[in-house]
Amino acid sequence: MREFMDGAEAIVRGAFAAGCNFFAGYPITPATPILLRMLRELPKVNGVGIQGEDEIASIGMCIGAAMTGAKVLTATSGPGMSLYSENIGLAIMGEVPLVIVDVMRQGPATGGATTAAQGDIQFLRWITSGGFPMIVLCPSSLADCFKLTQVAFNLAERFRAPVILATDKEMVGAQQSVDTDTFEKIEIVNRTLAPADAEFVPYQIKKLADTPAFAPIGGPHLTRFTTSMHDERGLLTKKPSNVNKTSRHLAQKLEAHLAELEFAQLDAQPGAQTLIVAYGVTARAMIEAARNARAAGKRVSTLVVQALFPVPEKILCAALTGVARVIVPELNLGQYRLDVERLALALDVRPEVLGVNRVDGELIAPAEIEELIK
Amino acid sequence: MISNLELPTFKFEPVNLSVNDYKSGVPPVWCPGCGDYGVLASFYKAISELQIPREQLAIVSGIGCSGRFPAFVEAYGLHGTHGRALPLATGVKMARPELTVVAAGGDGDAFSIGMGHVPHAIRRNVDITYIVMDNEIYGLTKGQPSPTSPMGMEKKASPYGTVEQPLNPLMLAITCGATWVGRGFSSKPKELVELIKQAITHKGFSFLQIMSPCVTFFDTYEHFKNRTRPLPAEHDPRDRMSALKYALEDQTVYLGLYYQEERLTYDQGYAAKRQTLPNYGVRQIMDKYRR
Repeated sequence: MREFMDGAEAIVRGAFAAGCNFFAGYPITPATPILLRMLRELPKVNGVGIQGEDEIASIGMCIGAAMTGAKVLTATSGPGMSLYSENIGLAIMGEVPLVIVDVMRQGPATGGATTAAQGDIQFLRWITSGGFPMIVLCPSSLADCFKLTQVAFNLAERFRAPVILATDKEMVGAQQSVDTDTFEKIEIVNRTLAPADAEFVPYQIKKLADTPAFAPIGGPHLTRFTTSMHDERGLLTKKPSNVNKTSRHLAQKLEAHLAELEFAQLDAQPGAQTLIVAYGVTARAMIEAARNARAAGKRVSTLVVQALFPVPEKILCAALTGVARVIVPELNLGQYRLDVERLALALDVRPEVLGVNRVDGELIAPAEIEELIK
Repeated sequence: MISNLELPTFKFEPVNLSVNDYKSGVPPVWCPGCGDYGVLASFYKAISELQIPREQLAIVSGIGCSGRFPAFVEAYGLHGTHGRALPLATGVKMARPELTVVAAGGDGDAFSIGMGHVPHAIRRNVDITYIVMDNEIYGLTKGQPSPTSPMGMEKKASPYGTVEQPLNPLMLAITCGATWVGRGFSSKPKELVELIKQAITHKGFSFLQIMSPCVTFFDTYEHFKNRTRPLPAEHDPRDRMSALKYALEDQTVYLGLYYQEERLTYDQGYAAKRQTLPNYGVRQIMDKYRR
């Protein structure tokens, strides 16, 4: 069916398709449309939607609810992500499944509330203290908004971890005509529950890379979680062997499963010497630029990165291999280009990496990318 | 009982639980003589007298000497970030209203870093019990002045004496509209057990300030022993002005139930609104996309 909708609607539909039943958030442009729809729809489906007194409270409520077994969503923009930072750390430490939408606007600080930007990219990767890996997905179409929101919930459940959906003011706010039959529903993944009849230790794992089974607060096992470094019982510990185990586990549970976390769409043209790598709204300009260039007889490949972090190194390295030039258009001063350059440097034949960057609040036009395609 | 979120709920048969059944076996790490031992002992006694099933009890805390409270109680425990016990507790309660939810904090956690959440939990009337162990100092970080420290306190962080007036937590809770407000003293266990029981039994947000001296950095045992007194018999806890009058008193530290009223709780109010809504819209979308 053809519908006229914005990314906020597609994200909300994706959240409900994934089984979301709890939302707490604080109004902030340009993420408010997500909050409004969640608060309107959740009570109709026996869910709970709360407007918190601030962002810190909102993510706190989400974490509390998630630990009872709820599937939770929150949405904010850059200033709100700054306030979420500490409790994202709590979600990492306590292994709390949680989906966070960051609708990027121009920063720093209040920046430009209605100004398009992709300036949060490396901030999202390193969003909290301690330096642990984060899962960051990024939709570049309405169909992606719908699908990747479900993927975000599935990964949050699968890995008991906070997952960020990084999007931007244009993706969320601009209305487009779309055929909703192209919206892909995916199989719902739920966190692995501890068996009710067996003895339960909250953070017990066999291997460091395992995700511990979950016991909801209010469920059959008394369980606890803590913001502090803890042992497998969820009790505060300073014992180096315990601290080491928990720290390495929190990294390895994602890093040992990178194949499950790589999402990107490669449109390779045989013989192309130019590759464009883009994400979010900028990927739209890239696709248009490539189409124009190909129509003009040029050869060019494109890669839409759908999972920014962990960096899909396997896909990226394969795409980078054999090209002479890589163009990375971004609405920032070259943040994801850092990772592309890092990978390019490790190749035997190093491609040249060029950025197309705007931070004036305007979108990158296809022509600006086309100019660099040789 | 509303079935929030359609989460699976579990039934627990009532069993006779002793005080010891509520002890987790984790030994408290507070300084010898800390008032918090008295609070914890009274808490064990109160919940055992109420016979709350351990599987129906969630204890939430933030950071500070109070933050370890959940570890010592055999119940569900959430030890969260500094100042954020109330948001976490609100999330738990709204997702699972069938649970008894207790948030524990100190004066720093509640009235400094977490102060932004206190009036909102109060105005929502979330059905949780907030126990604030007030020692009028930051103990865990080794003795800095807190929002309830008396004016002029000289500490390393206030080498020339503080010039800030302390907050009056009871006045705050009463004027924000808390539906249950009380004050206890860690060295008066009999009265404290009763107050904790009442606070937990109350439907709505219960605000219980417990004077709990810090022997190491601000020893106020003598001060409180000489100044605490039960609220006079003529005080009517339904009389807000009378409650404020005794809360304002600074020469005598009155203990007991200051104020109580009945009001719809947050989860009750939300559930009532929800029942007026037709199930449509996203429900259809969910069904459409459900496998």
